Amino acid sequence: MKKLSFIFLVAATMLFVSSCDKIDINNTHKPFNPSGQGKTVLIKDFTGVRCVNCPAAAELVHQLQHALGEDNVYIMSVHAGFLAQPVGQFPDFTTPEGTEWYNGNESNPLFSVDHVALTDGNTLYVEQVDTPLADALFEAQTFEIFTEATYDEETRQVDVVADVVATAETEGNFYVTVSLLEDSIVGRQVVPGGVDTAYVFRNVFRGTLNGADGDIFHEGPVYLDDEYTYKYSIELNPAYNADQCYIMTYIYDRTDGKIMQTDMVKIK
Amino acid sequence: MILGTLSLHAQSFLENSQISGSFQTDAQYYMLDKGIDITDLYGKKFGINGFGKINYTNGNFSAGLRFEAFLPELNGFRNELNGVGLANIFATYDNGFIGITVGDIYDQFGSGLVFRSYEEWSLGMDNSLRGMRVIVRPTAGVTLKGVYGRQRFYWAPYLERDFNYDDYRGIVRGVDGEWNLNQSIPAMNYSEFKMSIGGSFVSKKQYDQSLFYYIPENVGAAAGRINLGYGRFAFTTEYAYKINDPSAINNFIYKEGQSLLSSLSYSQKGLGIVLQVKRTDNMSFKSMYTAKQNDLDINFIPPINYTHTHSLPSMYTYSTQPNGEMAAQFQVNYTIPKGTWLGGKYGTKLTLNMSQVNDIVRDSIMDQGQMTINKRGTLGYASNFFAISDHRFFRDINFEIDKKISRDWHLTAQYINLYYDIETIEGHAGAPPVQANIAFLDVTYKINKKQSIRLELQGLWEKEVKKGYAYDESEKKDYQKRGDWAFGLIEYTINPHWSFSIADKWNYGNPVPEFRDHYFTGTVSYIHEATRIMLSGGRQSEGVVCVGGVCRTVPASSGVSLTVSTSF
Repeated sequence: MKKLSFIFLVAATMLFVSSCDKIDINNTHKPFNPSGQGKTVLIKDFTGVRCVNCPAAAELVHQLQHALGEDNVYIMSVHAGFLAQPVGQFPDFTTPEGTEWYNGNESNPLFSVDHVALTDGNTLYVEQVDTPLADALFEAQTFEIFTEATYDEETRQVDVVADVVATAETEGNFYVTVSLLEDSIVGRQVVPGGVDTAYVFRNVFRGTLNGADGDIFHEGPVYLDDEYTYKYSIELNPAYNADQCYIMTYIYDRTDGKIMQTDMVKIK
Repeated sequence: MILGTLSLHAQSFLENSQISGSFQTDAQYYMLDKGIDITDLYGKKFGINGFGKINYTNGNFSAGLRFEAFLPELNGFRNELNGVGLANIFATYDNGFIGITVGDIYDQFGSGLVFRSYEEWSLGMDNSLRGMRVIVRPTAGVTLKGVYGRQRFYWAPYLERDFNYDDYRGIVRGVDGEWNLNQSIPAMNYSEFKMSIGGSFVSKKQYDQSLFYYIPENVGAAAGRINLGYGRFAFTTEYAYKINDPSAINNFIYKEGQSLLSSLSYSQKGLGIVLQVKRTDNMSFKSMYTAKQNDLDINFIPPINYTHTHSLPSMYTYSTQPNGEMAAQFQVNYTIPKGTWLGGKYGTKLTLNMSQVNDIVRDSIMDQGQMTINKRGTLGYASNFFAISDHRFFRDINFEIDKKISRDWHLTAQYINLYYDIETIEGHAGAPPVQANIAFLDVTYKINKKQSIRLELQGLWEKEVKKGYAYDESEKKDYQKRGDWAFGLIEYTINPHWSFSIADKWNYGNPVPEFRDHYFTGTVSYIHEATRIMLSGGRQSEGVVCVGGVCRTVPASSGVSLTVSTSF
């Protein structure tokens, strides 16, 4: 009895001693240094104007973007799902492509990082974004995208040239998707405690120029410096503020759905 | 001769074997119903949850398994459950001195403040631990226990190398010891004074995957408990402490967690009195620090509220707030003796219950020269252990009479005065708290030996629901079940097999006129020995299902549902 109790006590003490990591409260934040290798990452924020938890989640993701560099991390706010449906004076930011990407999920806010999580049928909560984001930033870059957009004030036509250059040898089933985003839209959003009638919506996805899946540009092996150029045009909706509109281009491998590189330029 | 011996052994083995099991299937066919705003089924016309479990016992050995199929899961259950497979499997050898279990383990230390693994089918919740458990009983009254393993996370694989980005569960390991003095010390064997003491330590080992914060990779929690009894009095208390555990639930603060649960009771024939108090501060303890749903909970914080079972009283059930709560409950059960004027021929049972839960007091702290509260990466806040916040989460004062009036008549009636902070408990931002009076009458009349009829009449009257209700179109959904309700049910039973019932739940006083809906249901059930088949059709209102203070939301639906269950 005594021996057993002693063994148990020793085991419990060992467990106790080895099982508590006390973090220095003055040193809880980690330093972070992006790789600087040129790999960019796209966070899709599936949000809704009537989603009370979405503004806080969006703020957290923008803090991540700010911390990691706005040239390294891009955010696309995709309004989709029940809580994005327009009612009354709430703005309608839903799009057919966004609804297709959302894939019948039931809640907001949800996220994907370079399509990670969305591709395997799951989505990320905001607290789960940072790990795949860090991993994605440290991945090797395989493509570079050069996007050019020109805007005609009179016709409101936007012409886009997307030039994709391979920076490493790779193989896959590659697609390019070109999207229009509008930033800094003021409108009604549900927030904790009520409705913010002057909420500023950021990076709002307004639709693609080439469908939800984009266009295939190559299937098979790609070699260093292989170059692919695509041109698209769109007439800007009169309701959109051209000064706040952006063209976002991303390429992904259809095999696993993962985005490999993203680029974004202002149309003006 | 050898064959004969083997045959005898085999016969003995088979004679000692016991197999038990149960099966259940819950299925629902969903239909569009514009009357309650179901205009899209989102491609899901059918949901089905099912399980089958089999346990085998032979002397000191037992083993079991549970198979589950969610194809797809019923609405209101997490869609991660969608799938089919062996959810639980275990084998145990226990000779009284030592007990060893391998596989999926359900267990609890003390009241569960630092460790409880359990499964609750109605919530779709299962946090079983896949690993090992060893129980040693070195002498009478002493039980030592050790567990380690990884918790179930829907259908995610248990191997570390298979983890995905959104799944990096930690390992849970724990020890517990309990000493029952009355069993250990001969002089106390028959003493009126009862005493047992116990202590637990549980730790999780998780990988720090955070980009911004240093996450402790080993988080420990300890608890001590004491149970005392003298004559008709009993006192139990448990205190738990957890070191820094920044997580999605507590907004990544580094404050320690604490919890205290105490209960004092008195009982004698016809009278029972219980007083319980509880304090919880930052005690969510999950094996994955990013988890936010009803999954991967290592501990369990017991609710100390009355459990209502009737439809309207259970509409607003309290859900435990692990980030902080101060709770108290007082209950008196009294049976008016038989043969008295009020007791009548069969006696009358009376129950008075009062419970209230408030928030804890949180004071701001100094961080980088500024006063902050609940800021990420800091200690969060300071909190006086005994201080109670003015912010009330919940209050329930109820009185129940349970009376068998005659050989043929039985009556149960209850009145409830309820306060329910729906903004905190259900997350309906900006919605005013529910303040309601609720009453029901449940009468059963036995027509003859085989047939009976039961009537339920219930009402919920919400106070001041219209005040401050300048609701916006977008906020309508938050008021979907608000305002006054009436409920009626009539059930006809033909023992021992058949039961038929029709019911209507009517939200006649909803402040939004288009939500003043009827929720009709009709149910037929058939029971044959341990088998039950229940078919029902109609509407189900939006609500919450809560078990043990853990809740899941059930969306409104319309359609036909079938439940088949059996056991052997």
